[in-house]
Amino acid sequence: MAIEKTTAETAYLEAFGAGRAGALAPHRRTAFERFAESGLPHRRLEDWKWTDLRRVLAKPYPPLVERPAPSAEVAGLVARSPFGEIARARLVFADGWYVEDASSMPVSSGVDVTAMTAVQGAAVEVSPREDDPLDQLNIAYASDGAVIRVQEGANTDIPIELIFVTTGAHEATHTLRNVIEVADGASATIIETHIGAEGACVANTVMEIRLGRDARLDRIKLQHDGPSTVHLSNLLVTLGEQAVLNDFTLTAGGEVTRNQGFITFAGEHARANVSGAYLLDGKQHADTRLVVDHAVPNCVSRELFKCVMDDEARGIFQGKVIVRQDAQKTDGKQSSHALLLTENAEFDAKPELEIYADDVVCGHGATSGELDENLVFYLRSRGIPEARAKAMLIAAFAAEAFDSIENEAIRNVFNALAHDWLDESTGHSAHGASE
Amino acid sequence: MLKIENLHVRVEDEEREILRGIDLEVGAGEVHAIMGPNGSGKSTLSYILAGRDGYEITDGSVTYNGEDLLDMEPDERAASGVFLAFQYPIEIPGVATMQFLKVALSSQRKARGEGELSTPDFMRLVRGKAEQLKVNQDMLKRPVNVGFSGGEKKRAEILQMAVLEPSLCVLDETDSGLDIDALRIVADGVNALRSPDRAMVVITHYQRLLEYIVPDHVHVLSRGRIVRSGGKELALELEKDGYAAYEEQAA
Amino acid sequence: MADVETIERVREIDVDKYKYGFETEIESDFAPKGLSEEVIRFISGKKEEPEWMLTMRLDAYRRWLDMEEPTWAKVDYPKIDFNDIYYYAAPKGQDGPKSLDEVDPELLKTYEKLGIPLKEQEILAGVRKQGEPSTLDEEGGGEYASGKVAVDAVFDSVSVVTTFKEELAKAGVIFCSISEAIREHPELVQKYLFSVVPQGDNYYAALNSAVFSDGSFVYVPEGVRCPMELSTYFRINAENTGQFERTLIIADKGSYVSYLEGCTAPMRDENQLHAAVVELIALDDAEIKYSTVQNWYPGDADGKGGIYNFVTKRADCRGANSKVSWTQVETGSAITWKYPSCILRGDNSRGEFYSIAISNGRQQVDSGTKMIHLGQNTSSRIISKGIAAGYSDNTYRGLVSAHRKATHARNFTQCDSLLIGDKCGAHTVPYIEAKTSTAHFEHEATTSKISDDQMFYCQARGLNEEEAVALIVNGFVRDVIQQLPMEFMAETQRLIGISLEGSVG
Repeated sequence: MAIEKTTAETAYLEAFGAGRAGALAPHRRTAFERFAESGLPHRRLEDWKWTDLRRVLAKPYPPLVERPAPSAEVAGLVARSPFGEIARARLVFADGWYVEDASSMPVSSGVDVTAMTAVQGAAVEVSPREDDPLDQLNIAYASDGAVIRVQEGANTDIPIELIFVTTGAHEATHTLRNVIEVADGASATIIETHIGAEGACVANTVMEIRLGRDARLDRIKLQHDGPSTVHLSNLLVTLGEQAVLNDFTLTAGGEVTRNQGFITFAGEHARANVSGAYLLDGKQHADTRLVVDHAVPNCVSRELFKCVMDDEARGIFQGKVIVRQDAQKTDGKQSSHALLLTENAEFDAKPELEIYADDVVCGHGATSGELDENLVFYLRSRGIPEARAKAMLIAAFAAEAFDSIENEAIRNVFNALAHDWLDESTGHSAHGASE
Repeated sequence: MLKIENLHVRVEDEEREILRGIDLEVGAGEVHAIMGPNGSGKSTLSYILAGRDGYEITDGSVTYNGEDLLDMEPDERAASGVFLAFQYPIEIPGVATMQFLKVALSSQRKARGEGELSTPDFMRLVRGKAEQLKVNQDMLKRPVNVGFSGGEKKRAEILQMAVLEPSLCVLDETDSGLDIDALRIVADGVNALRSPDRAMVVITHYQRLLEYIVPDHVHVLSRGRIVRSGGKELALELEKDGYAAYEEQAA
Repeated sequence: MADVETIERVREIDVDKYKYGFETEIESDFAPKGLSEEVIRFISGKKEEPEWMLTMRLDAYRRWLDMEEPTWAKVDYPKIDFNDIYYYAAPKGQDGPKSLDEVDPELLKTYEKLGIPLKEQEILAGVRKQGEPSTLDEEGGGEYASGKVAVDAVFDSVSVVTTFKEELAKAGVIFCSISEAIREHPELVQKYLFSVVPQGDNYYAALNSAVFSDGSFVYVPEGVRCPMELSTYFRINAENTGQFERTLIIADKGSYVSYLEGCTAPMRDENQLHAAVVELIALDDAEIKYSTVQNWYPGDADGKGGIYNFVTKRADCRGANSKVSWTQVETGSAITWKYPSCILRGDNSRGEFYSIAISNGRQQVDSGTKMIHLGQNTSSRIISKGIAAGYSDNTYRGLVSAHRKATHARNFTQCDSLLIGDKCGAHTVPYIEAKTSTAHFEHEATTSKISDDQMFYCQARGLNEEEAVALIVNGFVRDVIQQLPMEFMAETQRLIGISLEGSVG
């Protein structure tokens, strides 16, 4: 049964050809046809039951066909990155295109960085995720992206920050596809910062990551998009033997966020720690879908998500751990915890296990609730005012997820962000409690 | 009763031999202590006697009452009277200790062609033994070894031994993790089981246990071989001089 | 000692592990094969139903025609030809329940063979004798020390006999077949039937609403504690026949009832459909305890034959302080699709779900529960133990939700899976929806296997491999077993041993 196309879908279909990233050319037509067939994902698809993109994208956001004129706003937005104090290389993308002037390339030897538009043909390997409509949309329209390759045994010395800004000047979809390859024995730290101005737009960003044998990647993502941004992201990771992935995402911005992660173990004895936090208020909506695929034996995965929802915000966590028949000795644990600060906040979770091997230790836990009044009372009985006591407890709740960030300077940035958020937000909750 | 000849064992898929030619003969009514430093192969020996998977016997034989012990499944060995008191007793959630004992005893009696013990008789038997070993009734209702302290686990092992009445008891480091009071209770329990038709192999690192369970023979195990055998005074000598001399000898 | 019995039972069985697989030679009346308005009128006519009931059935049928078979469950089976099924089969001359001496002796023999007591002086087979004290099982157990169990025996499409009716009537409890209730107690049936599971609720519920042929009806009046365990035994016997029973239990204010059901079927090469609906209504301060031991024929080792079990069970905790507890032991059926649920509507109401689902061979189980918190201070508890062996797939699927007004809702969920062998799958698909901050939800799940250490330890104490597995699994499911009426505990422990036979080695 054919479903009538929405105006957003029609706008995408009409804009085919807008994609510019050369390396994606071989995949673009197929991706477009797949998207034309499936359309935007909607709530009748099990994985999208809580986030219906056909409804979220209520009007068209056609991709930009040409690089937009340089905007004076970009420098100001880039300056809002909270990682300014940390020594790092910096790649800036504005409204879907690389901005060379605002960037500072890394100088470490063995670390190659280029813009996707500068790569020709098959010089970059791209592996589309064919079963994912979001990825089809990305491949079909990606205008640019970063290609980062850390050669065998090399490391990035200082973090590389990818800053994705949206100026809000275009009611459009900004699509970027980034490829990160960390070769055997190499290591890298990548910070991904999303900063946006007001003004409605859609940001669709994919990180395609391949980790070689003994490779290690620390990826830290901060999503601080504008209040009318629909943030769509896909993290596609393949881990080689003994590789280590440490991944953290803070979702604090955007109107609607859909973060997806597909983590696949391709080599034994690898480990993935994937964690995240939500700090949501107003009517923000954030949905994380994370699939960890243990395709080979002896790997370890850990997922920890701490979600704080204020006002009428809605947080969603859908995690799935798959253990294939051969993946004996898998150790997979997943947990998601929600703290709802007002009666109208909402949390939905679907922590799934799909297990076909018997010699495994797998588990998940999920909790949802409000601040423990006993703890608040305990703090108050020690002389701490209520608002402060609550803020401390909320910060402590979120900080458990920040603890997975190994770089202390970066971790401190997140603790500071949480406190800033609480300074604004506990205004509401302290007020709400006295009502 | 037990005869071990030229026993060579290695862990499956590994080259190195852990037992490199053990010879040991244990007669009915005798108590043999096997002492040795960590890594000498003591626990391996106990597992081989009980029939644990994961080891490869590359040479030698073990006969028990004239039968090939190595050819028997673990449960057959248990039914024929071999009992291993584990160094680290295993937890079985949801299965009450009482229930476990009842199933074990019934299975063994059945395998031996003996009649079923009536439930009241069984209860009396267990409660009586439990009292002697200062194992409280509450512990019998709790799942096997789950949430037991180290001392409780060891006492539960000896209780199982007392109830199952084996003819060959192998005690693997039964003294580890016990304070002096618990050690005395356990030792009393073991001593109460000494009898002319029952043999015991007591595996231990320290001489301390042997003050309470006085052995007839002491063997020193080092690097997979018995390097010296003697009477109970050998234990005292070891306590004084340590194992270093023997390690060189075995190398 | 149940475990010893488990083990003995396992030993006794050699080839044919499904001991209920026999067929009763009895002549039956059938409705014409297939599904149509005529067939529905035929069934309604056989039951001498009032017009309103027929209207409801036809309404359900029309809804069903517009619906599609659900595909979201993790089960895989060839498309069912709904026109290749008999929707009504009854032993000749047995259109409804009779007194014991009128029942066909063949039928009595069948139930005797199944171990189900139809004579009132007998008690459930396989459990301790009447009055015999419990020995080792020092934990709680059954409510009724007398061991008396009232039985409604449903054979294919009809209830053949209901026992202890008079004794129950003295207490004011109505226990009869649903067909009889539709005729004798229309006011109760009209008020409550379809009030929890409406005719168009889902595909299989709609099908059931159109063609249901029998089932049990229970009404416990205000303030009455039902004086004995009630039970229904469902038996599918005839070939190519589906069983579509409908059960309705109403516990009026302040009443209590414990009800249990058992199910078996002959071994056949073809698949047979069982699509039941159970509706429970608990009014203020009432409590219903509903236990199921589902042992439909699971099919052979290659997955040939077996029952397709598509069941809708739902309880409405309509009154304040009401409580419903579902306990299920699922060992049979080729496919199980079943989610006994609680709508926690009354303030302070409570729902419980205790489940053991064992799959072996080629069985596929997709089962779980829904706890829908609507009232204030409602609480729920879910304990699910899934055991997968052989080539089976075993999925827990559940929903816990709290609506905006369900302030201070509480849920605790524990889902544990055990895998035996590396050709099977165990899956957990929980949905958690908290729409109010005051809801406090906790969910935990684990998946593991029986450790080699546990096996060796048991073997070192004299248990063989199968004994050790049965013992460890019985320990694994203990939390749930304890929820069963005592009459069912021993039977269940035995069943576990049997279900897992051949899963090791």
